Amino acid sequence: MRSWYWLVVPLLAAGTTALAEDRVQTDLYTVVDGTKVDEKTLQGFKTWRAAACDRCHGANQEGMVGPSLIASLKVLTKAEFEKTVTEGRLEKGMPSFSTSQTVMSNLDNLYAYLKGRSDGAITRAKVQGMQ
Amino acid sequence: MKLTTKLLALSVAAAGAYSGAAVANDALARLINDPNNWAMQAGNFANTRFSQLNQINKSNVNKLQVSWMFSTGVLRGHEGSPLVIGNNMYLVTPFPNNVFAIDLTTQKIKWKYAPKQDPAVIPQMCCDTVNRGVAYAPGKVFMQQADSTLVALDAETGKVIWSVRNGDPKVGAVNTNAPHVFKDKVITGISGGEWGVRGYISAYDINTGKLVWRGYSTGPDNEILIDPQKTTTWRDGSVQPVGANSSLNTWKGDQWKIGGGTTWGWYSYDPDLNLMYYGSGNPSTWNPSQRPGDNKWSMSIWARDVDTGNVAWVFQMTPFDEWDFDGINEMILADLNVRGKYHRSLVHFDRNGFGYTVDRATGELLVAEKFDPAVNWATHVDMKTGRPQVVAKYSTAQNGPDVNTKGVCPAALGSKDQQPAAFHPGTKLFYVPTNHVCMDYEPFSVEYVAGQPYVGATLSMYPPPGEKNMGNFIAWDATVGKIVWSKPEKFSVWSGALATAGDVVFYGTLEGYLKAVDANTGKELWKFRTPSGIIGNVFTYTHGGKQYVGVFSGIGGWAGIGMAAGLDKDTDGLGAVGGYRELRDYTDLGGQLTVFALP
Repeated sequence: MRSWYWLVVPLLAAGTTALAEDRVQTDLYTVVDGTKVDEKTLQGFKTWRAAACDRCHGANQEGMVGPSLIASLKVLTKAEFEKTVTEGRLEKGMPSFSTSQTVMSNLDNLYAYLKGRSDGAITRAKVQGMQ
Repeated sequence: MKLTTKLLALSVAAAGAYSGAAVANDALARLINDPNNWAMQAGNFANTRFSQLNQINKSNVNKLQVSWMFSTGVLRGHEGSPLVIGNNMYLVTPFPNNVFAIDLTTQKIKWKYAPKQDPAVIPQMCCDTVNRGVAYAPGKVFMQQADSTLVALDAETGKVIWSVRNGDPKVGAVNTNAPHVFKDKVITGISGGEWGVRGYISAYDINTGKLVWRGYSTGPDNEILIDPQKTTTWRDGSVQPVGANSSLNTWKGDQWKIGGGTTWGWYSYDPDLNLMYYGSGNPSTWNPSQRPGDNKWSMSIWARDVDTGNVAWVFQMTPFDEWDFDGINEMILADLNVRGKYHRSLVHFDRNGFGYTVDRATGELLVAEKFDPAVNWATHVDMKTGRPQVVAKYSTAQNGPDVNTKGVCPAALGSKDQQPAAFHPGTKLFYVPTNHVCMDYEPFSVEYVAGQPYVGATLSMYPPPGEKNMGNFIAWDATVGKIVWSKPEKFSVWSGALATAGDVVFYGTLEGYLKAVDANTGKELWKFRTPSGIIGNVFTYTHGGKQYVGVFSGIGGWAGIGMAAGLDKDTDGLGAVGGYRELRDYTDLGGQLTVFALP
């Protein structure tokens, strides 16, 4: 997957502290300073929250009764991810979200958010918009 | 004694329609009153978890040894305990809810019942696929399956006598609770507060499985089984009629229809008053801004007539819950002298961190005090109104959605969750397994979709600032609301306590130790490391004239999963998350019964 990183050093007025803006952009997401994300990725976070995924996967996606998504998203393909979320893995306790309009219409966004977490580009579970 | 009982049974039988219930109750009461049995999950109707047995006592308990063990074949959270009636032991596993009958003489499996259930219910079970045990009535074993099916099994053969669907798992109405037999009824609740299930409690005929009554926690009076004039509550310093529409008036619009108030705890029963007692759970969703009002009668203590389900009195502990202080914990019936006056009392240790003493005949509020000094979300309970006085900075509603309210004690799993306490009539003390955990709580707006999670808050939990222990095992004086002694534990104490006439109190720990302490002082007298963390309840019985003490091990439940890192924690901190991760240094999954005896 193509991904590129660059560091934007803003022009500084004399006498202010130097602040570096850390920006990561891929085909999936754009992340600034680890916690500010593009609108689609933000919707992915909101979907994660609304579907209460944290109850099993942990508030930081590191896993509790459910597996760590930081680890799983390094292994699962996008198709496998979509299948798992849509159909669930009932025996293991993963629900099917096929009847959740919120989840189904945000699968790409949810994937972008979780992939950003798994890649390490998003450094904190709670994110905000770039504005 | 025997003659009297027989005469009573005969005379009541002659009295007509009421006879079946009385005889059934009498036969069950005889089994329960015989301390050689453990015929109910709490040992008795009063939920005291006290045994008259004293072969094992505080001078010899340090010699306790493993007598025998049994693997349940399931590696999930094992709550509740087996029952023992005469020569038979009955137990149920976590999902898939296999039931075993074990012959205690031959130690052979007498029968096994393995229900077929749709695995779709597994993800719907909040906080692990636990089952808190079976119930017994002469000749029958009752098991409440996860998928809400209640079955009556023949106690001799394991064959299904009847089976009834208690809820709709498709909308998240599943079950984890133990059924309870009072008179000729088997009473069961419902789970699903995190799926927007509207809570209710149901009574089925033990012989036919026919629904006798069902009382909801929220909604119109006739569906709650409230009589606006006869049903009372504690208000303005006295017991008063609840009045019309006491629930509907406290909800915005139709939110009560998806408003929770589920009923998955332990129930108790006073045969003299003919009342049963239980608690209702949190209102749905966890985002308080979506459900303004007191949300009655979520978070309440209930007294219902066992025959009709009619509500005698109801008392709401946490109006307008903002923290998931689910009110389902057990009601322990004990007669106490409070401020110089004798009361037929009910004692309840709520998730909200207050220990309540209430007159169980009238619903009069007698005592409400913090049973963990860490509790900070409210300064105190106003004894006139019964309302906890909320501290503004810990109000997740006042802080609003998308704001992380930090440092609330207790955490959502409460100063105590379902793990039941015990009462010793000799010491007059309550022995309470507690959690010593605080939380950050960030509510957010959430939409209801039938059959999908309906939570609306992100939580993180941790020990109180500056402390390392996440649990205490305490002795409590319910007449004044004070801790008598407190024994710190590294993790939450998530095991039901047992008190005995040998003046020993037993409880298990999440690391997997079964411990025995002195009922008077809390001094540790003995401990044994079982194969996995203990979230089951300790029980005792005799066989062949010898006393045994047993407990399930098998970590799971919310105790196991509640200790995650915070939402605001950077990934840099991933290696440093405490709580649950640390528990992994002590235990892994398990599913075993260990039974102890003196050599």
